[in-house]
Amino acid sequence: MKYVLFLLLFAGVLFAKVQKVVIDVEGMSCPLCTMTIKKNLKKQNGVIKAKVKLSTNSAFVIYDDKNITKEQLLKAIDEVGYKGKIKKEIK
Amino acid sequence: MRKNLLLSLGLSAILATSLFAQEDVRKFKVHYHFDIKYSDSKEYPAKLWNPMPFNSNYQQVKELSFSGNYDKFNINRENIYNANTFYAKWGKDKKRKTLDIDMIIETKNISVPIDVIKKASAKNLPIPDDVKLYLKATTHIPTDGIIKALANKITAGKNDRFEKVKAIYDWCTAHTFRDKKVVGCGKGDVGKIVTQKEVEDAYKNGYYGGKCTDLSSLFTALVRAAGIPAREVFGIRLGKSYFSKALGKSDDKGFANITTWQHCRAQYYIPGAGWIPADPADITKLELVEGLKYNDPKVQKLKEKYLHSWEMNWVGFNTARDFILYPKPEQYPLNMFGYPYAEVDGDVLNYYNPKEFSYTISSQEIK
Repeated sequence: MKYVLFLLLFAGVLFAKVQKVVIDVEGMSCPLCTMTIKKNLKKQNGVIKAKVKLSTNSAFVIYDDKNITKEQLLKAIDEVGYKGKIKKEIK
Repeated sequence: MRKNLLLSLGLSAILATSLFAQEDVRKFKVHYHFDIKYSDSKEYPAKLWNPMPFNSNYQQVKELSFSGNYDKFNINRENIYNANTFYAKWGKDKKRKTLDIDMIIETKNISVPIDVIKKASAKNLPIPDDVKLYLKATTHIPTDGIIKALANKITAGKNDRFEKVKAIYDWCTAHTFRDKKVVGCGKGDVGKIVTQKEVEDAYKNGYYGGKCTDLSSLFTALVRAAGIPAREVFGIRLGKSYFSKALGKSDDKGFANITTWQHCRAQYYIPGAGWIPADPADITKLELVEGLKYNDPKVQKLKEKYLHSWEMNWVGFNTARDFILYPKPEQYPLNMFGYPYAEVDGDVLNYYNPKEFSYTISSQEIK
């Protein structure tokens, strides 16, 4: 049993992949909005790095897809009052 | 590095050279203290842009000195609105980032007589080119759609510019209210203000809650939509109001902690009379703080006064909206410049939370 659990854990680590995504963000009106979104993204388990820019109305997120999905990233943006839409996945 | 400079660096845009006549003159010693903190990193760089007062016939900076451990600084007005800016930059290291700014500011109550405004308005002179910037829409000051329709309805049947402004001012003061839940002075996002609640008739029963930036911006947008230049004026209260404690107070020695006393007013332009001061937002503040109804004689008295005057227990910084500071920050455009603005490693510090930022501002009235 222990061996199986170890294998499952190892497989999880092995198949986890660091992803990069650009998200269009609607509704930002001032520089402080960028911090509100960034803070909530960084709170999510699996988000490695988040950068939000007001001038382009977008967020760049590096995340571990083992712990969080793109949909959950959008939900994290939605939770603080903004609308996110995946613009680009960077391979 | 430690610097302590009494100005000699071409800062005439800020420092005044002449004195007011002595009647109604008030003098304040204003002190800013910054101690920029950041929790994410032990070593951090920082940049700060602080709004500084402009000089006019109703406010003058008589003395300015500053000191701190910044690596670079400049005082500039290199932005589309010529907003006076104190910029300081600190390198990436562990040290606390500090800056102190001291100013002696003289103010004088300003009032443009109604008959002067009416006479100038009746002439219907052309709007000068240098004022036309304040007819344009910005991201947060729309002048079309609902705003245009609302302005048309409020000013229906009126052709005179001042009559239109007065109708808008009367409508704003009667239909808006101060919403204490709004953080700071509000974002002044007029598009959101007029659509925050779906209503049958925006003219009759719209929901127009906000704080001073919100309400001054709504007034500004409506006046612009009526074809008359208007603008918000961002600044800070400095001390006691002789009209009401709701509009500024100090202790018995004239001292006040003004860290959170930022206040946005408004101006409109009538060719031949110039920029006229107005403050529709303070009518709602008086109502809320003193628990008065709109029809109360005290409210009506202030309403009449603030269509064309300002009590100068306040100093103005700039009229900038939706613009880019200099040097260009990581985040732009800036919605408004009534608060200190700072970035640490590209992250914006919360200027609505002076303790976290951190900064303090105090004012001592000098007799």
